[in-house]
Amino acid sequence: MDIDEESSIPSKRSSPDLFFPVSDSEEEEDVIIASGALAGPSSSAINPPSTATSTRTNGNSNNRKTQQSQEVFGSQNSDDIVPLDIKPTSSNIAGPSRIKRNLSSSPPPSAIPNDFDQGYLGEFVCEGWSLSKGKGYCSPGSKVVFERPKPKSQVEEKSTIRDTKGPARLVNGKVVGAKGKVIGGKQVTLGSMMSKKSSPAPPKKTTGKPVVDSIIRFRNDRGFVGRLSVQEAGFLTHLLDTGVISLTGHVIDCPLSLSTGSTILLNVKVFLARKAFENVEKKDERKEEGTFWQEQKETTEEEAMRRRKDALGALFSRIGVKPIRSNALLLAQKKNGAAVINETSLQHFSDSPKPKRSPSPSKGSNGTASEKGKGKASAANSDNEEEEDEDSGDEAEKLDEKQMNEIDAIYAKAQQGDNRLEESDPPESFLYTLRPYQKQALTWMSAREKGDESIRDNQSLHPLWEEYAFKKEHVEGQPIEIEDEDDFVDPSRKFYWNPYSGELSLTFPTSNTRAKGGILADAMGMGKTCMMASLIHVNIDPDISSTPPPTTAEDEEPALKRPKFKQVTLSNQWRAIPTIPKPTNANIPRGTLVVCPVSLASQWHDELGKMSEKGTITSFMWYGNDRIDIDRLLSQEGKKKVDVIITSYGTLASEYQKWKKNKDKATYEGGSLYDHEFLRIVLDEAHNIKNRTAQVSKACYEIKGQRRWALTGTPIVNRLDDLYSLLHFLRLEPWGHYSFFRSFVTVPFLNQDPKALNVVQYILESCLLRREKTMRDKDGKLIVDLPPKTVDIQVLDFSRPERQIYKHLEDRAKRRFIQLDAEGRAMSNYTSILAMLMKLRQCVDHPLLVLGKSTEDDESTDKLLDAETGDEKENLKDLIALYAGGAKATHKTNGEDVEEVDHAFAERVLKELGEQETTPICDICSNEMFDEVLLPCYHRCCQDCIVNWIGTCEDQNKPALCPSCSKGPIKLSDLRSIQRKRKRVNPLTGIHEEGEPGVTLGKVDLVQSTKLRALVRKLDAMRQDDPEVKTLVFSQFTSFLDLIETTLTKEGVKWLRFDGSMSQAQRAATIEEFGKKTKEPLVLLISLKAGGVGLNLTMANHVFMMDTWWNEAIEQQAIDRVHRLGQNKHVYVTRYIIKETVEKRIMKIQRSKTALVNASLSGGASKDKGASLADIKKIFGLDEDDSEDEVY
Amino acid sequence: MSGLPKRILKETERLMADSPPGISAAPKDDNLRHFDVTVAGPESSPYEGGVFKLELFLPEEYPMNPPKVRFLTKIYHPNIDKLGRICLDILKDKWSPALQIRTVLLSIQALLGAPNPDDPLANDVAQNWKENQSAAIAQAREWTRQYAQ
Repeated sequence: MDIDEESSIPSKRSSPDLFFPVSDSEEEEDVIIASGALAGPSSSAINPPSTATSTRTNGNSNNRKTQQSQEVFGSQNSDDIVPLDIKPTSSNIAGPSRIKRNLSSSPPPSAIPNDFDQGYLGEFVCEGWSLSKGKGYCSPGSKVVFERPKPKSQVEEKSTIRDTKGPARLVNGKVVGAKGKVIGGKQVTLGSMMSKKSSPAPPKKTTGKPVVDSIIRFRNDRGFVGRLSVQEAGFLTHLLDTGVISLTGHVIDCPLSLSTGSTILLNVKVFLARKAFENVEKKDERKEEGTFWQEQKETTEEEAMRRRKDALGALFSRIGVKPIRSNALLLAQKKNGAAVINETSLQHFSDSPKPKRSPSPSKGSNGTASEKGKGKASAANSDNEEEEDEDSGDEAEKLDEKQMNEIDAIYAKAQQGDNRLEESDPPESFLYTLRPYQKQALTWMSAREKGDESIRDNQSLHPLWEEYAFKKEHVEGQPIEIEDEDDFVDPSRKFYWNPYSGELSLTFPTSNTRAKGGILADAMGMGKTCMMASLIHVNIDPDISSTPPPTTAEDEEPALKRPKFKQVTLSNQWRAIPTIPKPTNANIPRGTLVVCPVSLASQWHDELGKMSEKGTITSFMWYGNDRIDIDRLLSQEGKKKVDVIITSYGTLASEYQKWKKNKDKATYEGGSLYDHEFLRIVLDEAHNIKNRTAQVSKACYEIKGQRRWALTGTPIVNRLDDLYSLLHFLRLEPWGHYSFFRSFVTVPFLNQDPKALNVVQYILESCLLRREKTMRDKDGKLIVDLPPKTVDIQVLDFSRPERQIYKHLEDRAKRRFIQLDAEGRAMSNYTSILAMLMKLRQCVDHPLLVLGKSTEDDESTDKLLDAETGDEKENLKDLIALYAGGAKATHKTNGEDVEEVDHAFAERVLKELGEQETTPICDICSNEMFDEVLLPCYHRCCQDCIVNWIGTCEDQNKPALCPSCSKGPIKLSDLRSIQRKRKRVNPLTGIHEEGEPGVTLGKVDLVQSTKLRALVRKLDAMRQDDPEVKTLVFSQFTSFLDLIETTLTKEGVKWLRFDGSMSQAQRAATIEEFGKKTKEPLVLLISLKAGGVGLNLTMANHVFMMDTWWNEAIEQQAIDRVHRLGQNKHVYVTRYIIKETVEKRIMKIQRSKTALVNASLSGGASKDKGASLADIKKIFGLDEDDSEDEVY
Repeated sequence: MSGLPKRILKETERLMADSPPGISAAPKDDNLRHFDVTVAGPESSPYEGGVFKLELFLPEEYPMNPPKVRFLTKIYHPNIDKLGRICLDILKDKWSPALQIRTVLLSIQALLGAPNPDDPLANDVAQNWKENQSAAIAQAREWTRQYAQ
């Protein structure tokens, strides 16, 4: 186009023939007007159409509304002129007409009504210029017809003798030539692109592409001839050639006397021809094959389709046709000014669907996952697996709270019709009773497996399509105005246009999801396992009739991809186990593969066993070293029959590694999970594969299976791409393609186009079933009647020594960060900054957690600090020593040794204490004394209060006197803790156990954290209420769990532990033990990462969250271990937060789910460190004033 | 606003329900740590018959640190300056966390009954008090009549 403009701009100025000033032609901003110099030669060279006189005009088109006859323009073929309206059957346009959709994203446009001939799309005003000379040829209002010189490709096919460029080409002059070059250049690019990729392109497709010119001539019945301006002709040409549109028009204005190149203002009416709606041949196999875009090159048809799409897009915008219904993603695309599909986006498709991003180094889990593969024991696997939910990625794509809320709304909207689903009963072999909503899920799932769409009305407009309406045509003779478009929309004449693929349709397009399976995304604790088990019962055996014949895409696709592998495998299998002949139906997909986190494997096994009548469903745990041939396993009959294989993500990933490495070797014997086609694949806790680049995700994509199910309570954990991975696993078209998903969902969404969510809704509607505990059934009852849940956020304050240590750490970390930041070295020391942050978070739990690590950390820290650190280190150690040692040695005034307790004194106090029935009130805090301590003057206080008071006095350099009697000074070492023995009730006899006097005195134990003491206190209170209470205590730090253990032991509380270091067997044993009925309180200490997911721990009804995790969803998961189906008690959740620490800022950030969260999760090597640094500033309170209150 | 410590709630409750004779104290609506206080002048003191307004504020560290109290009503007293600041040991270094709002206000009331010109805050008043006690007392009466009635 550059050339066009260059040549036209000067001529515009100089052209004496401009009849209409440019400014008169509204809407045409850069009209190209051919000057006489340009037009002259072309007009003289074009053969005057010999058939000009034989062309009939359309007469007056009063009755032409939709019945316009195609013959209207049907001039007889002359040598270089072809009729504009080419019948679809016409052989000479066979090439372009055989347009196949290149993007199989839409439903097949179904039958076109028989009476439909063409639809009036709209009109536009444009310029043409005259190729004729003389007076009287035309006048305003005279009809014109439009025609094309014969497209070159047809010329080629028809007559090899003719010069491929055709006479028109030779004489068209620079304008056309330039245009042609532009097009040609484009094609060459495409062609070379394709040849580089060595595609199996159809033979027709060669590098020499015909050059298509873009001349559109018009003439009237008097033989006058003109050309449309290049601008319009550019996009009309292709449409005319392919018969998509037809044109009529009349002259609006023209000079009385024409000369060559005179400007003529034309009104052009555009009709969409019948052909536009019927020419799309679908290749259905595409749907399945499409997973592998690298094999999909742009064919001739595809290219034609793309050009048609571009041209139609230009036409629509030229006419100003606007959709009466559209959808988010197209608007988003338009808004961004992105071409809907261009070569760049095609490039996407040429790329492998496999992730381009190499795993970031932080993703250690990937590495470990592959190491795992080498047949390690499951215990080792489990450790690694814990970390796998933490991935890195584009932080910017993380969804903030608001966005997550929007997604929640979408879940709700997408599922609003679901309570009307039919209920179906599981077969009798399924022993559990399903709740109504579970039966509904069964209906839905069975239907999904059968590919039955009608089970749920699917009335969303396909998100790729827009709805338009044909207009009513102007009555001849009326003044031409731009009228309000709404007046002309005839709702009964709707048509649909897919600006993505270029397709047109007269029928309402909904999406066609061929994928069998879906996402069961019921909220946690609603019995997803149970529902899936019932589905397995319903469809144990492959439904042969519904099984696609082996030639369908489902089978074809892997074959296409690894043809060699398949052959080798089969033959090797035969060779390897010659004695056991394969059953003849060996290659019929059978069996269900359940992939779940290690910690859930045995639960699946057990539950399947419990739910199934004996002998109906047998499951097999596939992990560890005892792996056997999968096909043999599944082909066993009778008692040994295996229906369900249960494996873990770790095992699968390792098997995938091995298989990938070995599959092409001649010695490969098969027998792995990858050598079998399963009837059904079930991913439990499917968000494990949310990171599409992770090995484990790839491993899941690659398993062969007919029906694919993903179970997860959080299909979108914190960014939309999470969903993509699931869709890719499901092979749901077209969303399972990354570039589709990205350009139509992720990118618009990130650009904050809220309408992008419509697309998400649409996708979810088609393949996801989600119910929440709070949903109601059609009768208005809650679908799940769970007992209530109370969450209590306890905001605690540090004891004084803790505060000192914490403050010290925080100040130092802050200082160091500021310094690094000022020096611009914050990025390079990112990891150590995160380590400091980690220390702060640990310190909030228990200062001893920091103590243990301080030496090592300090060393690395100190290097980066300036000289004063030496002192600080000492200070810190002093502080900790002070803390741990109960301030034995630090007081200068400490003259006397009060280790020995005066017996008389003790006796007196003991007596006094023993007589007291209730806990006294502390003078300082006005509460019942907590950790009662005795002052030398016999007054008593809470330990916290007095320690705090002594500290305050120290700060003010005054002696710490007894608050009550002003005796003193009191020192920390003078304090004695009063321990009242609990009145224990013997659970068997119900008799109070007799013991020593209820009170003993001891040294004050200062080594306790605020949180830990709060926990112990609360546990004690709970014991009073329910002597058999079972409690979960979550922390993210196993070292903190260690400390809790110690304290609980000291307090005589029975506990169990569940963390990532335990083997599968140990874990199972622990859970079993915890479930046993006991006569005393039992606490289960769980590492958040190991036990946060999947476990069913409804025997407990109290949950303690000891610290704040970066991701609120994970915490929610943890709580739902208890608050789920099967729970019949009120659930109490207690979260401990320490005032004025990083915790509250973490909570803030937790809600905004920003970069730092991701960076922290991934262990420090984040791509977007800049954003993370901003968050760190927040954490240190450097960027804003701290408003403590809004958080809680 | 994070919750008030239980102690403050309890003290407030008790002050409202059972205030010491001649003393009233009520927290402000907008800040529950901020109290409007009135203290009646003790009998047989120059301040008898007067009702003195004070304000009392409980700092964040309360009860580890003492409340801040100040006279709003003009008063002629050797230990109270013209800004209403009070010289009282328990409001300073003799503070103990076992003390309460109630005890503080009672102490202030007692201070009105027993001025201590030897530990002055308002020096001119103290000097007058020492040099010409009756004139000083008369002055205190006059101010009480003028400002506190």
